Amino acid sequence: MIEVFAVLLVTALATSLLGVFLVLKGQAMTTDAISHTILLGIVLAFFITADLRSPLLIIGAAVIGLITVYLIELVTSSGMMKQDAAVGIVFTALFAGAVILVSRYADDVHLDIDVVLMGQVLFAPLNRVDILGVSLPYALVQLTVILIINILFILMFYKELKVTSFDPVYAAAAGISTTLIYYLLMTLVSVTAVTAFDAVGSILVISFFVTPAITAYLVTKRLSHMIWLTLLTAAFNSLAGCTFGYFTDISISGSVASVSLLTFLAVFFCNKNGWIRKTLKSRRMLRKI
Amino acid sequence: MDILTSYSFLIVAIGTVILSAAAGIVGTISVIKGQSLIGDAIGHATFPGVVLAFMLFNVMETSILVIGAVLFGIIAFQLIHIITGSSKITLDSALALVLSGFFGLGMALKSYVQGNPYFSGTQGIDDFIFGQAAYMLKSDVYLIIAASVVSLVLFFIHYQQLKIYTFDPVYARTVGISIRFMNVLVLAMTIMLIAVGLKAVGAVLIVNILIAPAVTGTLWSNKFMTVLIIAAASGGMSAFIGTYISTALTGIATGPAIILALSVCVVFSMLFAPKGILAKRSRLRKLGEAV
Repeated sequence: MIEVFAVLLVTALATSLLGVFLVLKGQAMTTDAISHTILLGIVLAFFITADLRSPLLIIGAAVIGLITVYLIELVTSSGMMKQDAAVGIVFTALFAGAVILVSRYADDVHLDIDVVLMGQVLFAPLNRVDILGVSLPYALVQLTVILIINILFILMFYKELKVTSFDPVYAAAAGISTTLIYYLLMTLVSVTAVTAFDAVGSILVISFFVTPAITAYLVTKRLSHMIWLTLLTAAFNSLAGCTFGYFTDISISGSVASVSLLTFLAVFFCNKNGWIRKTLKSRRMLRKI
Repeated sequence: MDILTSYSFLIVAIGTVILSAAAGIVGTISVIKGQSLIGDAIGHATFPGVVLAFMLFNVMETSILVIGAVLFGIIAFQLIHIITGSSKITLDSALALVLSGFFGLGMALKSYVQGNPYFSGTQGIDDFIFGQAAYMLKSDVYLIIAASVVSLVLFFIHYQQLKIYTFDPVYARTVGISIRFMNVLVLAMTIMLIAVGLKAVGAVLIVNILIAPAVTGTLWSNKFMTVLIIAAASGGMSAFIGTYISTALTGIATGPAIILALSVCVVFSMLFAPKGILAKRSRLRKLGEAV
């Protein structure tokens, strides 16, 4: 139980940290697209190596993730369709290809459709690795490395990320390449998503990426506050979701995603500028008039 | 070849072809208005509705599960509407939030149902995720036909209003078209088609049949009517090819097969349509020669 929670917590922190900038840049649905299409990368790499622990899987997924982003950019900038239509078409096409490959050719291996959808965090502790004589879940080690990489990325490029998120025009004038930062961010998103894949699956990982950040965005005005609050929310969601899922014996990632939505709704309706206060206030105003 | 004449294939193919043609027509409005991903959020959000309806009635009857799907589709849309309307959260974020939260709820409920001996015949739930036309019954096809006919009738009764609403909402308001009613109408048609289409195409990928035909249509023409006809035709044709492939080869779900066929249409149009890449190239080249 402790180890399952640890895997989930590290996943939540690593994903939601990037989620802050994805939400600020308006790339939540692009992230959703990536989290679907990396499955194609995983499947293709798996056909080559036949080993689910091969680093080639991560590389394959990262490449497909970047191709997704690039395709969406390419199609949108050609003016042939709007960005949202491009996202919708690119990800469904690549994901459909992946689903067919999995169901037709990889039926007897560990890559089954349920794992694709919601992961199997309960099995994470079974797959172990020894580090300095201590036996740890493999997923935990892998995700901790990713978390550290993500933290380093945010620390190193904090100023650039901030400027390109809030004022892309100024960023261009100051000689900061928005495109470069964007592609770096999206590469990390792909790598993080594929590492988290085993634990939380392909579809629910989007909840881990963006929901804590959106929740924090409701009540903060400063970027630094938003980051801390996002991490706090992510930790709370995974603790509450994990506990609930564990004791009711339901899908843990499904439970975390549901709890995350509930947390958001609670904050949305009840914070001091929230929906309830706002609606009451406008009612009162109307009555006065 | 015997597949083409087999009774069960024909039933399923009729269902998917009509569904995709209707979805192509209805989806055109959202695509032109730049709101195509709302269908994605609604599609995912219907899934917990399906599972809950199953839990309440304990039958795998599509007509009952569809009611749950419709209800959750409406709840999801309302939630997106409230969130974007009264906070600084953008549509993009709200869609991702609702999509993942609802689908997560569906997954949690699904794992509860499938691990519980009280419920029987739970394997059928999986068909609603990626679609499995092979298990479609005649009643499922009737349901699709009914929903498609109703939404197409609604569409063409309000054709003029919808056209103005799509291209010029400001003008629409000045000539007395209720924007609110139009929103509800488009939403109702979309949710209806998504709900009945779940068993054929699946919750995860159903948005594609609302977007891809419309995009194909807009690449070939600027006239609304022509776009609609092309969308319906490419939707119907791809659905037929996809259903055929998924019936002929084992282990291929119908939804993904239809979507790959639709994607081929889109890529083909992006290359060869009047607004496509090759036409643009040759226009530029001619321009270059003229200069």
